[in-house]
Amino acid sequence: MLDAPAPDDLAWSAAGELAAGVASGRLSALEVVEATLARIRNRDPLLNCFTTVTEERAIDRAHALDQARESGKPLGPLAGVPFAVKNLFDIAGLATLAGSKINRENQPARRDATLIERLELAGAVLVGALNMGEYAYDFTGQNIHYGPSRNPHDLKRMTGGSSGGSGGAVAGGLVPLALGSDTNGSIRVPSSCCGIFGLKPTYGRLSRARSFPFVASLDHVGPMARNVEDLALAYDAMQGFDADDPTCVDRAAQPVASLLERNVEGLRIAVAGGYFKPRSVEALQAIDRAAVALGVNRDIDIPQAERARSAAFLITASEGASLHLDRLRRDAKRYDPAVRDRLIAGAMVPASLVLKAHKFRRWYREEMLKLFADVDVILAPATPCTAPFIDQQTFVFGDDELPVRANLGIYTQPISFIGLPVVAVPVAVALSPLPIAVQIIAAPWREDVALRVAHALEANGTATAPRPRM
Amino acid sequence: MKRKAGRTSKSSRTNRAGKSRSRRSTIDSSRSAHLDTLVATNARALGIPLDSAWHEAIAFNLRLILLHAKLVDEFALADDTEPASVFYA
Repeated sequence: MLDAPAPDDLAWSAAGELAAGVASGRLSALEVVEATLARIRNRDPLLNCFTTVTEERAIDRAHALDQARESGKPLGPLAGVPFAVKNLFDIAGLATLAGSKINRENQPARRDATLIERLELAGAVLVGALNMGEYAYDFTGQNIHYGPSRNPHDLKRMTGGSSGGSGGAVAGGLVPLALGSDTNGSIRVPSSCCGIFGLKPTYGRLSRARSFPFVASLDHVGPMARNVEDLALAYDAMQGFDADDPTCVDRAAQPVASLLERNVEGLRIAVAGGYFKPRSVEALQAIDRAAVALGVNRDIDIPQAERARSAAFLITASEGASLHLDRLRRDAKRYDPAVRDRLIAGAMVPASLVLKAHKFRRWYREEMLKLFADVDVILAPATPCTAPFIDQQTFVFGDDELPVRANLGIYTQPISFIGLPVVAVPVAVALSPLPIAVQIIAAPWREDVALRVAHALEANGTATAPRPRM
Repeated sequence: MKRKAGRTSKSSRTNRAGKSRSRRSTIDSSRSAHLDTLVATNARALGIPLDSAWHEAIAFNLRLILLHAKLVDEFALADDTEPASVFYA
């Protein structure tokens, strides 16, 4: 029998509100965590977002927080805030699945991922691990071993991937905050499909230590939430150098939460044209609405974006295959066939072509940096369409019909290819009951600018995470 | 004398088109055969045991990746362009 639903005011509260309530004693951490666990028990059988619920750990942690408050110890900015992580982040005591069946037999992780440690240091409470596409090679949120995560706005539809469980859990009110990873769009695509906010920071900004990799030269990690302030709170808590991740840049943290209210009127904002021109009514309406709300009347051409996407595709195939080569030799039959066939093909790509893609990456980065001398922010669609149906194989893209699995990230790949910070913001459009997001892209290390613009869109009602009718 | 430029009979045009289609089809099947050989040979060289049922999907994916690679390969880059690899000494 299902438990009584958790009170809506807790399930849909922002992380910042929950933390303020716990810090003031108006709420106990235990009360918040128990309501979250009840909500997961009730709703997750429909959404299939969680692969593990760390109930005992969460309750112990909540008790500890409540005791700390009672004894007058300072609590962090995320005190009592429940969060969950894509199951490629190490959780001490659990095998790190990375969406696979093969990894189930791995030794349990001995230590949490750095980002989990940092969120808990800020007072947040881990409640579980989230479903994802196998080994993150996926834009759909489907998983042959654990079932698809389901979109809270329409259970017949995809969450988008590969951080599909993260998107569904946040959009469905199971947790206010989740972590995802984004190699080619895996935070931004589910944010768009599920109608939430997602931050893919600059490459090298947040530590990937003790997370299962996919494409080392393209992997990013970041937060997903239902409002911009929560993204900023989580991002601030996770910043900082980490010697355990060789790509993490030794750069001072730049807290952004206190900067969100800053005026965006002086910012130079343009809409990406050419390759990024939307070919669906929904994507077009979303980008137009965001542009109008920000008073933007300027287009900008991102040079060689299509080629950049191809180079990202190529590097992904090759580096991903290299990571999995031993497993493919040993265990190829235990992969999702759709992932296995792509990985084996990737292993066969000549290195000379992959190196050329890396050289092109350098060229493209320099061209993009020149653009940022003239603009502060670029707007682009996040996905070419709203969430497709689960198991849908293709979607219409202008005059073409493209495979879903490889192409939902057609607009995200050319941006993460050079590690630019991006906030995906959900923008309601008149013609669709389903959400869709816009990418707010800034120059490297200017997460503050992208988040300020996202906050401005949220403040004027253009960007909002719609509550699903479940 | 006037040249009969570009005048050909319908039957000869049809034959030429037919030959062209046939040549294209020969090239396509030859490329496809090369790709099949590449998949089989590479799998052996890399020590990946291949089930024959996977072959077609792997060849499809390899073709797709190589199409993307072609777009990258066609782009002229200076010899001294540094690859954007991730390494700090």
